[in-house]
Amino acid sequence: MRNPSLIKEEFLKRWIIALRRCTSLKKNMNILERNKVVKLSADLAMASARNGTTSWSRALIANATRDNDNRILAEQILGPESEILVKRVSTMPFKTCNRRKIRSKRILKRSCSSAIRRVRKTVPRKVLANCIAKRLIQKRTHILKSLVPGGEFMDETTLMEETLDYIAYLRVQVDVMRSCTYC
Amino acid sequence: MEPNLGTIVRSISIGPNREETGLESLQFREEIHRLMTVPPENGSSFTELLQLPETQAMELLHSAHSDEVVPVPLSGEPLHGINDDHKSYLPSFNGNLTFPSNKVLIERAAKFSVFASGEHSPETSSVPSDSSANLEKVKSEPAETDSNPNSSQLLVSDPAVNIKNQRSEKRKEREKKGKGCTKKSKIEISQDAEKLPYVHVRARRGQATDSHSLAERARREKINARMKLLQELVPGCSKISGTALVLDEIINHVQSLQRQVELLSMRLATVNPRVDFNLDSLFAPESGSLADSNFHSMVSPLLWPEIPFNGNRQQHQQQWNFDALHRPLWGREEDNHTFITMENSLLNYESANSASLHSNQLKMEL
Repeated sequence: MRNPSLIKEEFLKRWIIALRRCTSLKKNMNILERNKVVKLSADLAMASARNGTTSWSRALIANATRDNDNRILAEQILGPESEILVKRVSTMPFKTCNRRKIRSKRILKRSCSSAIRRVRKTVPRKVLANCIAKRLIQKRTHILKSLVPGGEFMDETTLMEETLDYIAYLRVQVDVMRSCTYC
Repeated sequence: MEPNLGTIVRSISIGPNREETGLESLQFREEIHRLMTVPPENGSSFTELLQLPETQAMELLHSAHSDEVVPVPLSGEPLHGINDDHKSYLPSFNGNLTFPSNKVLIERAAKFSVFASGEHSPETSSVPSDSSANLEKVKSEPAETDSNPNSSQLLVSDPAVNIKNQRSEKRKEREKKGKGCTKKSKIEISQDAEKLPYVHVRARRGQATDSHSLAERARREKINARMKLLQELVPGCSKISGTALVLDEIINHVQSLQRQVELLSMRLATVNPRVDFNLDSLFAPESGSLADSNFHSMVSPLLWPEIPFNGNRQQHQQQWNFDALHRPLWGREEDNHTFITMENSLLNYESANSASLHSNQLKMEL
């Protein structure tokens, strides 16, 4: 992996800039607002650090710009790159065509589950075990998809890559925040 | 007389091998350099993650391989006048070097990578796993009489080729397979890596050569390779076998990391009523690890006059009783901390190492 301390530095810089911009808008915030601000700025900072190369970063930005009140904040934080990024994010057709995909997947799943129920009594044990294992894996990939931002619209291979990247990002974030709180 | 002739013949056969290996090791080095310079390092995509360690793995393999190759010619020389046992052993040993040594090399390379750099190990071990998969394919072709570095060169360049090609030309691969070719040949030259329109996959011995199953197998191999990387990234996953359990662990890890982020952001939100940081001191010294500590040293004087929560010092000391690890470290800075009523034990258990490192840095600075 790339040098983790470099990533941390990068993230820290961007986060500080983002926080500054956020707090310049509102002077006195209560705890909840601050919490939101902290998280949002951290997310956007990291996402901008990736510059839209990874899918989860794009999804984060998309989520952030969806609400109107966050949108201005987000655009300010992202700065001059924001227009390019937002364009890239919005040109991703993942919302419309993937709803169809998700719907069709759900129909498939329901039909498959009913087929499995029918077959279960007459099928040898090895095949059964295989089926059960497959179901387990499917369930878990589904959970993982819900965890990783933007993960529901991906196939399995990209999902694995995205989780790798996302875990790296989370680790960096946790490290930086922890060192911030302990100072 | 005959034994002497035999020894001469065999020494001659060893000699050109040595020369060949020397030449081809040069070629091999050139290949490495070419492969290293071709892929540009930009962005944060997964291919870049893989490419750096690939080159490292290739270097490691090359160094390990040269270690293997060098003793063989050296041992060849003193065998000139020795009895038949050694003579008969040596050529077979030479022949065997082509296949088992590569596995040994790859295992060695994996071990080297583990010792060399912590974070690089996941990727380098994925490269050996890929190349070991390719090893089986090479073994199924006994007609190949390539010399040692040639085969290893092919094997090593395969992962690079495979990963690059598979990613960028998967669609064309599917089209090609859809045309109904039952057996495909594998192109193992890495020179035209970017110009190849599709990836050929050779069917292994005893497996279906149906286009669908081939595509599925390629896909499964990809997923398994990524899974291995994830396994090595997530702590405690390398011992577990089975996809479902590994996925379980990954999910738990991601959830715990997300929860940690939540907690830490809440903490930060309570600590800093005024989020105003001194950036100049951060940007001026651009050293890697010191940047953090500089930032923190700047932040702490800012925070000192601002925190309204610091009522009772004793209260804080009581709050910090559960930080058994950190209390001796943070004895001086109690009044800087806030109430932390949420569970610290989990965080402290996990954060012991990193926090202590950072705290040491801070101590140095302050």
